[in-house]
Amino acid sequence: MTAATLPPVLSLKNIVSGYGGLDILKGISLDVGAGEFVTVVGPNGHGKSTLLKTISGLVPLRAGSISIDGTEVTGKPHTVAGLGVAHVPQGDMLFPEMSVLENLLMGAYLAPGKAEIDRRLDEVYTLLPKLSDRRHQIASTLSGGERRMAGIGRGLMMGGRILLIDEPSLGLAPLIIEQIYGVIAELSKAGRTILLVEENPARVEDLADKLHLLDDGAIVWSGPPADLLAREELLATYLGG
Amino acid sequence: MTLDILMSILVAGITTGALYALATVGLSLVWGSMGMLNMAHAAMLTMGGYAAFTVSSALGLPVIAGFAGAIVIGMIGGSLLYMLIVRNLLKNDKSTFESNVMIATVGIGIALENAILMIYGGQPLKQPLSIPGTLMLGPLALPYQNIVIILTVVVLMAFIALLLNRTRMGRAIRATAQNRDAAQLMGVAVNRVYFQVLVLSGGLAGICGVMVSSITQLSPPLGNDPMLKAFIMCVVAGLGNLPGAVAAAFGLALLEAFIQYAAGARWGFPSLLFVVIAVLIWRPSGLFGRAQIRRL
Repeated sequence: MTAATLPPVLSLKNIVSGYGGLDILKGISLDVGAGEFVTVVGPNGHGKSTLLKTISGLVPLRAGSISIDGTEVTGKPHTVAGLGVAHVPQGDMLFPEMSVLENLLMGAYLAPGKAEIDRRLDEVYTLLPKLSDRRHQIASTLSGGERRMAGIGRGLMMGGRILLIDEPSLGLAPLIIEQIYGVIAELSKAGRTILLVEENPARVEDLADKLHLLDDGAIVWSGPPADLLAREELLATYLGG
Repeated sequence: MTLDILMSILVAGITTGALYALATVGLSLVWGSMGMLNMAHAAMLTMGGYAAFTVSSALGLPVIAGFAGAIVIGMIGGSLLYMLIVRNLLKNDKSTFESNVMIATVGIGIALENAILMIYGGQPLKQPLSIPGTLMLGPLALPYQNIVIILTVVVLMAFIALLLNRTRMGRAIRATAQNRDAAQLMGVAVNRVYFQVLVLSGGLAGICGVMVSSITQLSPPLGNDPMLKAFIMCVVAGLGNLPGAVAAAFGLALLEAFIQYAAGARWGFPSLLFVVIAVLIWRPSGLFGRAQIRRL
């Protein structure tokens, strides 16, 4: 079986979800293959974060189905995490009164043993050396960029096969954004399966294998990032140019 | 004030502080991790005291069995509270949970207090789990019961600190308290954490009930005064702040003891209320309620 014919690691079929009486996602379908880097772009408030929260179980699914490795997922967030989905949420959602190390150890909450935890910790410190320097610092005192790094590090500590990353560049200085995307690029090169949501398609032009354009809770265009960036009318209509 | 009077006040203040700390930690643990003000905590404390009395006096079992009985009854109370009430309220709109659970536990507390009144009657009873005698250290008189209370509370506080800081379960409790959604994303089953916290808090309430009744008497409203004081300590410390709650418990108990000596017993409680009002004006999030530092 070739890579192209392998079943997707993550598959969404017509998913609908939302808050209160409002549907935010209105029938989204997409697949993410093993080792693939898929990005969903769209303007603020059109459902990007809700999409990741629905996959990880934080927002209940109202219709459609989510499958991981061909098995339909209907569980709560802790069971989805147990299936190997590591969600790095927007705004980091670190544990503010815990140290960086304790935050990382929380990422490995479901890890099978101390040896595996130590192995993942070494991996994270190698990729994100600043976290090693800051390991005893309380999370709420980290800078914005360090918090984002800690959020990614905690996601990696989960050892998940599928990494969901929510707007890693949000609110950060250009230099820090570059560093963070450098780390994400390394993860992708190492074969991690990544589903990332982002407002700016140019940031993932050289990284993503596939790009979906989200508007008002529905996917309105899919294709390679370069194709979208060449379509000025699409950029102007959906992303304001 | 002579040295022996000063020492007597200190011993009384530290003993009361230990009891307040025990009551406060149970209350604060539940508030901090679940956002739940358990108004039935007082009744669970009373149940613990009566459970020890029943096992030791009515069943004639050894004192240690009575102590264990109080812990078990408290833990059962906590688990039933979760399974019958909290779990069902959590299924509803999360935004109404705090108010709904407070009202529900007020009702449960009243029902339990009346049930105890029906079973045991209103007459005060003597708690058999008390140790008579006094240790004399020069001019200082240390009742054995006070020593037992202080040592028990010190051991329990160390146990709680180790549990919260050094175990996987403790980290899950702290993570849930700090960010419930993030804890779930890490794989923490938060409903299991809530259950564990209520069982732990129930066990602490049971022990507290034995300790309080060992230096007073058993009566159906036994838990009300410690619960009220514990609530004051929680507010002064900052709701959900465990180390702060312990510090506030000892600090305010010593203050109460000194004011009772200097101005009369009737001024003890009003002085605590005055401190609460002052703290709420000066530092609305409590003395140890840390303002979040967030660098941008």
